[in-house]
Amino acid sequence: MDRRQFFVASATVAAGGIPNLNIKADSAREPKEFVGVLVDTTRCIGCRSCEVACSEAQKNFVPDTKNDNALEKIRDTSEKQYTVVNRFETAKGAVFVKKNCLHCWQPACAAACLVNAMLKTKEGPVTWNGDKCMGCRFCMISCPFDIPKFEYSGWNPRIMKCTMCYERLQEGKKPACVESCPTDTLMFGRKRELMEIARHRVYGHPDKYVHHIYGENEAGGTGWLYLSAVPFEQIGFRTDLGTTPYPEYTREFLISIPLIEFGVPAFLLALNMLTDRKDEVSDEQKWTEAGVDK
Amino acid sequence: MNTAAVPANEVVRFARFFLQELKPRGKWLTPFNVISIPIIAAGLVILYFRFTQGLGSVTNLSQQYPFGFWIGFDVMTGVALAGGAYVICFVVYVLRLEKYHSILKVTILNGLLAYVFYSGALLLDLGRPWHIINPIIGNSFGYNSVLFLVAWHFLLYTGALFLEFAPTIAEWAHWERLRKFLTSLTLGTVIVGITLSMLHQSGIGAMFLMAKPKIHPLWYSEYIPLLYFVSSIFGGLAMVIFEGTISGKVFSNLIGQKTHHSHDDIILGLGKGAAITMFVYYFFLAFIFMHGEKWKLINTSWGYWYLVEVIGFVLIPCFMFAYGVRNKKFGVIRTAAAMTVLGVILNRQNVCLIAYNWYVVDKYYPSWQEIVVTLMVVFVEVWVFRWIVTRMSVFSKE
Amino acid sequence: MEYYSYINIFETKGLAYLLLLSFLVLGVLLIKYLAGPERKDPVPGKKNATIRR
Repeated sequence: MDRRQFFVASATVAAGGIPNLNIKADSAREPKEFVGVLVDTTRCIGCRSCEVACSEAQKNFVPDTKNDNALEKIRDTSEKQYTVVNRFETAKGAVFVKKNCLHCWQPACAAACLVNAMLKTKEGPVTWNGDKCMGCRFCMISCPFDIPKFEYSGWNPRIMKCTMCYERLQEGKKPACVESCPTDTLMFGRKRELMEIARHRVYGHPDKYVHHIYGENEAGGTGWLYLSAVPFEQIGFRTDLGTTPYPEYTREFLISIPLIEFGVPAFLLALNMLTDRKDEVSDEQKWTEAGVDK
Repeated sequence: MNTAAVPANEVVRFARFFLQELKPRGKWLTPFNVISIPIIAAGLVILYFRFTQGLGSVTNLSQQYPFGFWIGFDVMTGVALAGGAYVICFVVYVLRLEKYHSILKVTILNGLLAYVFYSGALLLDLGRPWHIINPIIGNSFGYNSVLFLVAWHFLLYTGALFLEFAPTIAEWAHWERLRKFLTSLTLGTVIVGITLSMLHQSGIGAMFLMAKPKIHPLWYSEYIPLLYFVSSIFGGLAMVIFEGTISGKVFSNLIGQKTHHSHDDIILGLGKGAAITMFVYYFFLAFIFMHGEKWKLINTSWGYWYLVEVIGFVLIPCFMFAYGVRNKKFGVIRTAAAMTVLGVILNRQNVCLIAYNWYVVDKYYPSWQEIVVTLMVVFVEVWVFRWIVTRMSVFSKE
Repeated sequence: MEYYSYINIFETKGLAYLLLLSFLVLGVLLIKYLAGPERKDPVPGKKNATIRR
């Protein structure tokens, strides 16, 4: 083996060795990939059949979409409805946007929950468990999208939010809203595949879409992805949320707890010993006790 | 020594003694009773509706404001102002400054009652309070949550405060051996208690770390846990001065002559501590302000409101403490203490309610029912405090 | 888009050190102020305290 070959070989070994050192990434990989939904807002016609299908599947309040004129004003999801469709008047005409839980990659609500009632399932949906929840509403404080809603009326309140129809997914079906959509606005699948489709559409029609996929990186990335013809802040999205996953904001604090809990008591005990003045004597006493005067 | 090992006649003796002590002493129709009894009664009625018809029936909580006055005032502020207990314990047991020993027991009692009642008020606010045991019994540990830490530290610290106060209870019940045993635990519980306090005082601040996009940037920073911890030190000190002033007047017959005399010296020491801590806190605020380049926000109505809190209720009381300590003006120190307490209240309300979701049109205001229930909690606490101090040797009789 | 431009997150660091220095000076002044007016001869009552150092 000449010198050059040796370098190449050792570089190959080194390159092969590096990924194996990355223990965390390997063990953290789940066998199942997270699922999500791609929402192409340019296709939505505002028929609101997803609202109806959602409420029927989840046994919530079913809106009367023919007569209630709900598109007249901007609505929020509520403790009665997991999803709502809003109409925004933009430079490119009316745009309809479906609003619901985005099922974050690293959800703030699940990190906030002290009883694991809010749970990021390994399939991707973020679900809520009423047997554990104590109703502290800290998930509502933490969610950057203001999605969890609380039933303020009733002695046994629930936290209400989209579950991406977790039970239906378990049965191998798609979420109810996706199945009900007549215009293919909603597309269900793994995020990896959805991202490719979304990029394909944006690159293929650069004049039709803004060059951004909402949910790719927002708040660390979300399960639901959005495409739009107009800038996202014009159709009711917050674009100031950053790309840091929200649990990261509490990471340093949570990690420092054991350090403080071990270090501070030791420090306090030492301080207590140091300040012990029991055997302390004054300068004069010390001289006489040492027998200098004798 | 536990109760099982105690002979039956001792239990009977204590039961009789307890019933005897339960009877009220002194006059019934004091102004405080006349005000507090109807409010407590009204609060109980409101709580009946709250537990049968839901939080919405008595509170102004909304989907935008999931934390209201009960959390923002009772829990957050009550806990911050109870910080005096761990500060005084630190000074007396760790630094061994005997000068402050005479206010130790009453400060611990105040802390203990604050934790029992104010963090107990959390139960009123929880939607499903019967599940509160879930994070404790271990069927669902949410280690990933800041609130998990806070809940556990509340619980443990309340226990630590109880152990710190328990010798006084044992003395009152004439359990001499138990008192000696409990006294021997004190240093350990104090050290654990200080550590727990550091973490849950800052943990309450850390609860807002994930609310980054919702809290006005003048109040949000990643250092909010540190700010909450430091403000609990001077808030606690100010509350000790404030409460000492009130109980010095109300319970003056219970306080010995010597203690009365040394109280001035104690107040000067506490005032000095508060002035220095507030100066440090002000530096932290200025530093965070500068690092976040927040001067761009100061010339708005939110900016003026921020200045009211930071200048009016941190910097000015800090200077008032310094002036009062140097010139031995006790009126100035007491006014500064009251302003500091108000400042801590204001800060917690700002983070939790006022500057939270600051862009929302439908702002939150506490309903009258929420205020009545809060007053009820405060009054019941004062009742229990009064019952204890008139029976146990909380104040120094020397 | 902000991802594609340079952001210096330590832009205010120099100012931070200036602020620190000015507050250190102010802090010394505050502590001197709190200590009260200077006394030439020790107060009789404080004699024990000066011995026990």
